[in-house]
Amino acid sequence: MSRQGGIRFRYLRRDMVQNKGVNLTLLLMLVLSAFLMATGSMVMERLVGAVDQLFDVAKPPHFLQMHKGEYDEAALERFAAAHPEIDSWLIEEMLGFDGASLAWERPSTGESGDLSSRLIDNLFVTQNEEFDFLIDETGAIPEPAVGEVYLPVGYQQSFDLQAGDELRIRTESGIRVLRIEGFVRDAQMASLLSSTRFLVSTADFEALAAAGGGTPEIIVEYRLDDPGTGADFQRVYEADAAVPKNGQGVTYEQIRLINAFSDGLVALALVFVSMLVMVIALLNVRFVIRGMLTDEVREIGAMKAIGLPDRMISGLYLLKYRAMTLSACLVGGAAAVVATHLLTGGIEDNYAEAEIGPATFLVPTLALSLVYLFVVGICRRVLGRVRRIEVVNALVHGSTLDERQTARRARRQARRVRRGRLDGYRGGNLNRRLAMLELRSEARSWLLIPLVFCLASILMTLPMNLYTTFDSSRFGTYLGVPDSELRVDLQFSDGLDALRGDVLTAMGNDDRLTGVESYANLTYRIEGDEGWETFRVEVGDYTQSTIEYIRGGRPGAGQIAVSALNAERYRLSPGDVLAMRLGDDEVVSVEVSGVYQDLTGGGYTAKMHGEVTADAAAYVVFADIVGGGTPAAIASEYGGRFPNATVLPTREYMKQTLSYAVDSFRGAALLALVSGVAVAALITSMFLKLRLASDRRRMGMLSAIGFSARELRNQVQGNALVAIATGVVAGAVLSATVGESMVGSLIAMAGLGITDLSFIPNPLLVYVAYPLLLIATGYLSTVFLTAGLRGADKSGWLTS
Amino acid sequence: MKTGFVMPQHDHAPLACRNLTKTYHSTDPATEVLRGVDLTVGRGEFLAVMGSSGSGKSTLLYNMSGMDRPTSGTVHLEGRELTTLKDAELSRVRLTRMGFIFQQAYFLNNLNLQDNILLPALKAAPGDSEAVVSRVDSLMDRFGIDHVRRHGVTQVSGGQLQRASICRALATEPAVLFADEPTGALNSSMTTEVMDALTDAHSGGTTLVMVTHDPVCAARADRVVYLRDGRITDSRELGRWRADDGRREDELFAWLSGNGF
Ligand SMILES: Nc1ncnc2c1ncn2[C@@H]1O[C@H](COP(=O)(O)OP(=O)(O)OP(=O)(O)O)[C@@H](O)[C@H]1O
Ligand SMILES: [Mg+2]
Repeated sequence: MSRQGGIRFRYLRRDMVQNKGVNLTLLLMLVLSAFLMATGSMVMERLVGAVDQLFDVAKPPHFLQMHKGEYDEAALERFAAAHPEIDSWLIEEMLGFDGASLAWERPSTGESGDLSSRLIDNLFVTQNEEFDFLIDETGAIPEPAVGEVYLPVGYQQSFDLQAGDELRIRTESGIRVLRIEGFVRDAQMASLLSSTRFLVSTADFEALAAAGGGTPEIIVEYRLDDPGTGADFQRVYEADAAVPKNGQGVTYEQIRLINAFSDGLVALALVFVSMLVMVIALLNVRFVIRGMLTDEVREIGAMKAIGLPDRMISGLYLLKYRAMTLSACLVGGAAAVVATHLLTGGIEDNYAEAEIGPATFLVPTLALSLVYLFVVGICRRVLGRVRRIEVVNALVHGSTLDERQTARRARRQARRVRRGRLDGYRGGNLNRRLAMLELRSEARSWLLIPLVFCLASILMTLPMNLYTTFDSSRFGTYLGVPDSELRVDLQFSDGLDALRGDVLTAMGNDDRLTGVESYANLTYRIEGDEGWETFRVEVGDYTQSTIEYIRGGRPGAGQIAVSALNAERYRLSPGDVLAMRLGDDEVVSVEVSGVYQDLTGGGYTAKMHGEVTADAAAYVVFADIVGGGTPAAIASEYGGRFPNATVLPTREYMKQTLSYAVDSFRGAALLALVSGVAVAALITSMFLKLRLASDRRRMGMLSAIGFSARELRNQVQGNALVAIATGVVAGAVLSATVGESMVGSLIAMAGLGITDLSFIPNPLLVYVAYPLLLIATGYLSTVFLTAGLRGADKSGWLTS
Repeated sequence: MKTGFVMPQHDHAPLACRNLTKTYHSTDPATEVLRGVDLTVGRGEFLAVMGSSGSGKSTLLYNMSGMDRPTSGTVHLEGRELTTLKDAELSRVRLTRMGFIFQQAYFLNNLNLQDNILLPALKAAPGDSEAVVSRVDSLMDRFGIDHVRRHGVTQVSGGQLQRASICRALATEPAVLFADEPTGALNSSMTTEVMDALTDAHSGGTTLVMVTHDPVCAARADRVVYLRDGRITDSRELGRWRADDGRREDELFAWLSGNGF
């Protein structure tokens, strides 16, 4: 046993010294995949833990309904009494101030600024008593004293605020000053297209309400006996005609998903990248082991000849890969701890500092164990070829092949020899022809390069495509937000129709604006599982609509388009006929023209072609800007002119809403870019080193018969370039086709209303610059690796 | 210590080297393999280089042919100094003016035998492929490998392969043919086969420099030089070889044992 140990140790040491470069490359690849896998799983675990922890303390509602305007409190009482599944419920009163009426000042230094870049309404609230708490940085439930205010943590980050700063609120009766006491985490905070909550004392809340200038809003919130029934409860709630529902309804599942949306996708992206890197590492391992078996075939033959069992021989070699994978997992895991710490800073700020539990160690350990078992398993499989090596063939011919394989190879060679004829050669480039023949006959070995570059290209492209998609101004159209620059919401106002007339006249006369289009929000009812259910419909002219339809198209006369969630709920597809009624009017029939995906209005929306009639619950007006003035400036100008209208520069609004996710994606895309380039350079270098080593005799011979070092170099570089370019092109094509649907289905599984994602890539970047970057990386590695060919004494190539 | 046997200098001797040295600095201490070799090979001469193993015979061959760069000294091929040429020019000289035969026959295994033989000649005269093909045809015919021309290199015998090497080397009509132990890997009947082919090439006017361990092979040469400690220490004129000259080998044996072979 100790003798075997001795052999093993001697072998390991000799191999480490002799094949330093190759072993180092392998080790780096394994470390990288272990690192990414561990980081992805750790970020995921931290995120889930943090969200759990926050939800534990904050107790977010299982269903919430936002509402602007008058409401019937008695109806809510009645509704609650009639539904025993409700555990508890509350009405949260809020006061909305737009960013322009809020400013901050730091008394100690005199620094100041305003919050006007925040397009989302800032809502002042008091701490709830039973559930849906806002949580401070220590995880406690703060009760602000009079004169104090707590701001969302997101504001702390984007405006660089500190506790002790002063918040100035412009009300209709002068400026009120509150001291910023701290910052709060909001379990609803990251919800897309929702507002953000500022926490004040009851006295200050009443004072603000009395001072005027704020828009009152409420959220009706419910905790249910079974949190999983939020969606059913929503249906029940919406079927009740008397309860308030002028606003977005959100379920517990949606709150959870939206919370984990960006960070979860980043963690998923990391795991995805690590899996690709691992596939590359495994291709690499396979290539190296096969080369090693060829190099050491005589030793293996000798070991077999003296009667060592196959298992022991392959165990001897496996030991090395076991050791390498194990160290890679340890190093990668340690590095992942640091990386996770850096990556989860944002998670801790926004959610909570998750407690370190058994899962904290178990999850990454499990992920790394899987990496280890998988890599070692593949090594074992490839080393299984030892069994097939025959002593005589190994010792006499130095061949790893058995009788049948030898015969097959001879036949293949004969075929190749017949095809690769030179005697028809008339001029042309003989060197190139030789290179091509070489590439063809060594295709099995060269295959590594296109495979690796294809995977590296996918690895770099997909995260980048995801980033540009979310960063694109057109992204909104995938979510049901029309691609217009201004959006005016008219709701909850006594003279709503008059206001609409004024706004339309003002905008129509404004020559900075074009394409002014208005829509009416009507509440229809249609027959569903719960009887006649509320069905919100936006009515107007959709002939210029820029919304993307996943099925069918925009609605024409007598037609309606429905959101993906509605299509699912009511099992609608284009061509179906929908019966609906307005109030107690006659039932009308409209044909479904198409289905679009929507994140606005809770995802349950519809768009019907028709005249914008008066007496709607709300109106929305869209417009584009033809020049003169930024969208934000024009929006605030109109906002000032029509205080009862909410005017938003839509694109910037979308950008701000998605900025957290976009930032995370940028990080992931960058990490993928660096990994891809590093992997490409590493593997090209390693491959060429091995390739050149096994090509020495051939090069020595060609050199002797008159091929110059430059010509030999050109052969290698040319072949490398062909292999690299093939892989890169294949990778780009796969990313654009299969990759899109792969990522799309991953996101669809998240159930956010995005059922179909088409990338909005930056084509110049991912389909021109990225491929060129990869090709340049590979080519430079090739140039670097083949530089040594020039100065060498060529006889050395022949004698080795 | 005897110095190198100096031949009368021709202006256009096919090959001449002066004070050629080669030191490998990669070892510690540095290995001085060639320590000043002076050698002139006459037109149409068949020169055999002998010496004990490790004496530097192969090194001499590679440095004279420009495969390797000598540490100092000069090499002239048909009057042209080689050591100052650039790699591309030197490769061109090897392509058009030199031929090589090695102990191991190196061929591309993705070309058939004929294409392997054609390769350097086609590269040297790309515009003249018909002439090249017919020249190679007649060479293959002459060296008896015509019938295996379409075979792959793993499908022919060692003797046939070595004769193919000779064909490939002669196809460019070189000024000098270098052979490093061309029979070292062959059995005796194949050795005779290959030596007959080389003798045949020589009688056709080719200048030959051959490194060998085998006195029977060396006996075919016009002249034998002896390499020891990086210098040529002795040289012997044998004159033209004839198959029925039995005394020639005995004479060579005696000379070799005098040199401690
Ligand atoms: N690249 C090198 N680096 C260091 N030393 C070398 C190198 N190449 C050859 N040598 C040394 O130079 C000496 C001469 O080698 P060479 O191959 O010329 O001998 P040789 O006479 O051809 O021997 P043989 O008859 O065995 O072929 C040897 O001692 C060898 O170890
Ligand atoms: Mg030698």
